[in-house]
Amino acid sequence: MSVHAGMEAAPARNWPGLAAGREVALLVALVAVALAVSIVSRGTFWNPVNIRSLMVTSAITAIPATGMTIVILTGGIDVSIGSMLGLVAAIGGLAFEAGWPLPLVAPLFCATGGLLGLVNALVILRGGVPPVVATLGTLSIFRMCVFLVLGSNWITAIPPGLTTIFIATRIGPLPMVSVIALLLMAGAAVILRAHRGGRHVYAVGNNEEAARLSGIPVRRIRLVSYVLLGVCTGAAALVQLGQSPLVQTSTGTGFELSVIAAVVLGGTELAGGRGTLLGTLLGTLIVSLVTDAIVLMHIQPFWGGVVLGLIILASVGAGHLGQMRRQEVI
Amino acid sequence: MISITLSGIVKNFGGVRALKGVDVTISGGQVLVLLGENGAGKSTLIKVLTGAIRPDAGRITMGGDTVEFRDPEHARALGIAAVYQEPMVYPHLTVLENIFAGREICNRFGMVRHQPMVERVRPWLAALDLPEAVLHRPISTLGLGHVQLVLIAQALVQEARVIILDEPTSILSRAETDRLVGIIQTLRADGRAIVYITHRLEEVPRIGDHVTVLTDGRVTGNYPAREVTGETLLQLMAGRTNPAPAAEASAEGAPQAERPMLSIRGLSHPRYFTDVDWDIPAGMITGIYGLVGAGRSEVAMSVFGALGTRAGTILLDGAQVRPASPAEAMRLGIGYLPEDRKRQGIFAPQSLEGNLTCNALARFCRGPALDFRGLAAEAAQMMRTYTIKAIGPGTTIGTLSGGNQQKGLFARWAALPLKVLILDEPTRGIDIRTKQEIHHFIRARAREGTAIIVISSDLAEILALSHRMIVMRGGRVVDRCAGTEMTPERVLAAAIGAATSSSEPQPQRQIA
Repeated sequence: MSVHAGMEAAPARNWPGLAAGREVALLVALVAVALAVSIVSRGTFWNPVNIRSLMVTSAITAIPATGMTIVILTGGIDVSIGSMLGLVAAIGGLAFEAGWPLPLVAPLFCATGGLLGLVNALVILRGGVPPVVATLGTLSIFRMCVFLVLGSNWITAIPPGLTTIFIATRIGPLPMVSVIALLLMAGAAVILRAHRGGRHVYAVGNNEEAARLSGIPVRRIRLVSYVLLGVCTGAAALVQLGQSPLVQTSTGTGFELSVIAAVVLGGTELAGGRGTLLGTLLGTLIVSLVTDAIVLMHIQPFWGGVVLGLIILASVGAGHLGQMRRQEVI
Repeated sequence: MISITLSGIVKNFGGVRALKGVDVTISGGQVLVLLGENGAGKSTLIKVLTGAIRPDAGRITMGGDTVEFRDPEHARALGIAAVYQEPMVYPHLTVLENIFAGREICNRFGMVRHQPMVERVRPWLAALDLPEAVLHRPISTLGLGHVQLVLIAQALVQEARVIILDEPTSILSRAETDRLVGIIQTLRADGRAIVYITHRLEEVPRIGDHVTVLTDGRVTGNYPAREVTGETLLQLMAGRTNPAPAAEASAEGAPQAERPMLSIRGLSHPRYFTDVDWDIPAGMITGIYGLVGAGRSEVAMSVFGALGTRAGTILLDGAQVRPASPAEAMRLGIGYLPEDRKRQGIFAPQSLEGNLTCNALARFCRGPALDFRGLAAEAAQMMRTYTIKAIGPGTTIGTLSGGNQQKGLFARWAALPLKVLILDEPTRGIDIRTKQEIHHFIRARAREGTAIIVISSDLAEILALSHRMIVMRGGRVVDRCAGTEMTPERVLAAAIGAATSSSEPQPQRQIA
């Protein structure tokens, strides 16, 4: 194809149009999975209790998935958020045990998460450690800290107010936590799409060196993305205690897998620079649905991990194939 | 009008002195052509000028005032922009976003405002002959020629008064080059200063006002572009008189082969090429010419087993073969030197030795172990044979100049006992002297009886080098010629599909 032919061929497309194909496919997949689950579960899927629990689970995944999308868009990744969630919950749980009131503890959750995100960012940016390796390290360090904080105890002194506010309160059909997650995603989507900072996130993920030479504050953007993910994870830890008011040493184990699966399934490229929050939203819904289905069908829960792993492999594989096809067109 | 003077610029990298006191003057309304071999210091000089590196000594003045470029951002703010040979873009972002990356026009909440950005580029789009619709396409969907134009638009939007073009034509087709030359004239008439780096000597009088020749980190000549001849430039760039004879190949009596070493019939690929027939005789150099997208490299890659085909047969030395992988093609005796040195060729962080011998490891296996001494000797021998300049075989290949890297890649293949050697753009982006050396090696290899295929976008080069030519366009073979029939007019006309007296736009079956 000559360069001239290339110019005339493709119609004018703008950027959200590029990802639209993926999102339509995800929507179809979502409907298909929902139908399949409702048939296999003989209707128990549509039980209001199950639907509500599904909405809450999705929201708890969606909040950190928003931060994770931004991190992956810059070309980074954070695999430590499972342990991070556990550690935040443990520290916050101690505050609850000490009798601190909810309005004081809620910001503590976010602040602790932000701080742990900052730890990751500093290891990656100051230490020059590749993100996967750095956060793999903190994944096990944070988990160790959970053991140190909790000892052999469980924390059960979670105020029932959490459940009342986030889960039981509903706006229309949606629990409060889902509304919060949707607002967060919508806000972040607007920032990513239309704000200078959001455009810089994409620029960094597309070509870090070019971004540096264009005067984009690459390091600051990468740092903020990890801190933001930490804050989101902190918020998720809080909300998650509303769903199951108990902190134990295994709290949050494997959580990173669901979040990364949701983001990657949503079409965000692990190499960075490409992906949307609408995709992440759909990815989150599918991942939660699949996890829910495994519970409904009384399959042993460890199969959930297998399915999430397969989802990650399949979506990265699909992305890779797409990339090869694009490269061939040159 | 802008005027920048660099005086006594010195830059050391480790123990190597890349610039040894360079004086250059850049003036508005003029095109300065910078010539020099690879490693002469051109890129270092450009980096000094764009603030990417700081000189160890020397002075830069702008309009009489001494300035110091702190970083690329600062140099840009002072009106200096560079369009690099390998453009730095954000592939998934749109053209508009690429142009304004880091300089978005925003409201006071930081929200990007598209309309004012479109307004800002619009006048430049017209000047550069780019349609406005292109602004909203991801830049990765544009060809390299258009990407360069976009980057020039970016420089203009930033109100650059000095625009540096680093070998812009090495990847452009003839038509694109003509358009670029027109644009350069417009920019010059507009009072901007252009710094133009090229290896193509024939472009110099067409584009430049002044020529500055860099040799080995020093300025060895300043000339008005109109007065210089190719011969003098060549000598200046090489820093000595040049013994290599000009076109020796076409003059040689081309030996006639009774049966082609490689013969392909009706080879087709669903996307890149259709019904391609090639006959490649042993002991000769067959040139394949065509514009970007003609399918030249893709056919070569199919022969090398790196790209599948839909239909057709490949005959090697009379026997039908169907290499399913490069490894199999190499076992059959087919070699392919790919066109993209950095992406497909070198193992940049590895040693020169490893890069030279990686295709020949099988010969150096001693049971389960490798014969390290043998490998080192082989590498040293190859460095001598192919005059690869490096401190030793242990040098990291990524640190060598492009010309030496390319000679290394050539050596990697030339050292193998091959029946067919395909060379895809074997001299792209390297200086004229190294180019001649590689031509010499190619001819020597052909004389040994290997069937050589050379794919090149440089028409003058391929005409001088080849005994016979095959011209491709739009995935089909459109012309074949040999000897005195190989005129630039005929080959170019076939490649671009211009209707001349001899060639129809239909594929021809003219057996050379």
